[in-house]
Amino acid sequence: MLNRRTFLKATGAAAGAAALGFPAVLRAQPKEIKIGAVHPVTGPLAEIGQACRLGAQMAVEAINAVGGIKSMGGAKLVLLPGDSETKPDVARTVAERLINEGAVMLTGAFHSGHTMAMVPVAQQRRVPFLVDISAADVITLNVAQSVKEGKQKTQYVYRNFPTTTAFGRKAIQFMNEIFKATGTSPKRAVLMYTNDPFGKPQSEGFIKAHKEQGAPFEIVEVIPFPEVPTDLSTEVAKARAAKPDIICPITRAVSATLLLRELAKQRVDILGVISPGAPGLYEKGQIDALGKLIEYTMDNVPWINPLSAKTRKIAEEYAKRSGGKTFDTNSGYSYEAITIMADVLERARSTDPDALVEAIRATNMKDPIMVAGGPVRFNEVGDNANASTAMIQILSQKPLVVHPKESAEAKLVFPAPKFWERG
Amino acid sequence: MDPILLGQAALNGFLFGGVYSLMAVGLSLIFGVMRVINIAHGDMMVWGSYLAFILAFRLGLDPFVSFVLCAAALFCLGVVVQRGLVNRVLNAPHEMQILLMLGVALVLENLALVVFGPDTRRTESAYGLATVWFGPIFVDVARLITFALALALSCALYLFLFRSDLGKLIRAAADNGYGALVIGADVERIYTVAFGIGAACVGAAGALMSALLPFSPAAGFAQTVTSFNIVIIGGMGSLLGAFLGGLIVAVAESLGAVLLVPSLKELVGFVLLVLILLFRPQGLFGGKTP
Repeated sequence: MLNRRTFLKATGAAAGAAALGFPAVLRAQPKEIKIGAVHPVTGPLAEIGQACRLGAQMAVEAINAVGGIKSMGGAKLVLLPGDSETKPDVARTVAERLINEGAVMLTGAFHSGHTMAMVPVAQQRRVPFLVDISAADVITLNVAQSVKEGKQKTQYVYRNFPTTTAFGRKAIQFMNEIFKATGTSPKRAVLMYTNDPFGKPQSEGFIKAHKEQGAPFEIVEVIPFPEVPTDLSTEVAKARAAKPDIICPITRAVSATLLLRELAKQRVDILGVISPGAPGLYEKGQIDALGKLIEYTMDNVPWINPLSAKTRKIAEEYAKRSGGKTFDTNSGYSYEAITIMADVLERARSTDPDALVEAIRATNMKDPIMVAGGPVRFNEVGDNANASTAMIQILSQKPLVVHPKESAEAKLVFPAPKFWERG
Repeated sequence: MDPILLGQAALNGFLFGGVYSLMAVGLSLIFGVMRVINIAHGDMMVWGSYLAFILAFRLGLDPFVSFVLCAAALFCLGVVVQRGLVNRVLNAPHEMQILLMLGVALVLENLALVVFGPDTRRTESAYGLATVWFGPIFVDVARLITFALALALSCALYLFLFRSDLGKLIRAAADNGYGALVIGADVERIYTVAFGIGAACVGAAGALMSALLPFSPAAGFAQTVTSFNIVIIGGMGSLLGAFLGGLIVAVAESLGAVLLVPSLKELVGFVLLVLILLFRPQGLFGGKTP
């Protein structure tokens, strides 16, 4: 929503920054390098936003602890945290503010809609933006397209996270492998999704991959619901009437809670809940609130690599600092974005935006802390094509990787016991 | 279209409508008696929800019991707001009243943000997941209890207004404030009680709804809008209209989710509003005072 006040704030900020921006480039060897991180720290996505912020903060501290950016005289990283309040317009104004406060790179913003709102800011202000989490393909694709068409000179937006297309492909691949391994063959699936800039493309990616790769099941019903939903009883009744064998939900925290409670309440008789990739189904707060209702839920998500010693060490520290929470998709990818930025700064030896972009494009960071298909590298669109997912399952109230086998830390349970047989 | 699904959706909506009705009845009473538009209605409701949440969390009280305490607390809040603020602007132009109540709404919302934080909450009830099955159709026990309590409270309010002396005085003051003054009624006290009762209704509605749906400090505004929608559809100032309006809107939204895309269900209530404004601007049961 644009009103007079936000308009004045935005234009005023832009004018001020234009005046201040030029000398910043000439400044030699900064002692501090500021990185702006925008996350939904309050509002409906607060639990996730707080996880992202802590992940990023820990990464900054870890880098500073081993001497900062060595090629720039040991310059220390400083995290400028921003709160999008789970609103896209706020994400945009906060990004502007962080740039005015001296951020030379941006990261964020978890919600695809918020990230999209920040993209024009990054492009206009020439501040490299490394998206830590956001799946919608168009985020990087649109910018790459306009650079290709000559409408924009340089692409400043890059992403270290799987796209919705990648999510869809992995989801179908993993499901097929799981059904084969467990000797099950669900025939009917109902896809339910949160109707927002993440949920809609995510569902389309899943449907497209289903069509291209094939699966033993038909998608018999597709049910979108508004985010934040107030009530999902009718949506679940609709899903139930379609007689599904599996439910494939694309949720967020509030909708995940409503959905699982309604599935149990309405005694929907299914083999299991398998998400093509969505938040709300593995966070500690969600598990605490839902208890046995969330048990056995599977989710195809980008995840930390449980077999990496480096990752396990970070996870231990994260648990200590977060009051026992899991180092997961969100905290993990926000952490990794900062480590990539540090690597980029190290090679760029400068905070000049174009030098940074050049360094981002040349990235080849081995041994990522997340489950991945290879080193971090950015393709022509600006995405890390090696960013991948794993199938996790809530077992004994903990999210554990159950597939693919080479990353698995527990044996998956499928079909899952019925909601009403869980004691 | 599957008739069982339609029946189920209609039933779900109908049972949920009770709590809509209760909140609309509160708004309608305040408007009917004082002609004050309570923009803070939804935020009062959210406070009812938070009180139920606190009582469940600290004392383990089920919201289906603690709603009485929540209603009492909101009655007190209503009295304070009426005595301290609304009374001063009773004869002021509508826009001044609206600005005042908007201020109250902002204070309530942000106070909730400071006290409870921004997270979405829900109140746990022992009946939260209980259902009773009749063949393929199920009845959500929490909704059924909510509906029964909302109906009982609305009936009690009706009896109070039409049978008790104080109730008759409230109706008299609503009908003609000056006339009530002439016959010796303490109109100021009547207004205070009426505002208190209106707030108590929405407080009870908030407590009951907290067992069904998640809520957050920011949820108030949407509830205010829904309340207004219901009251206008039912007829401004008509208690029966507000009650039936609540059921109509809830059933329409629920059926809308089945017949249209679920994302469009909130549209249905507002389409109803537009139709009513076009063809029956006084509302379905309008034209009468409570």
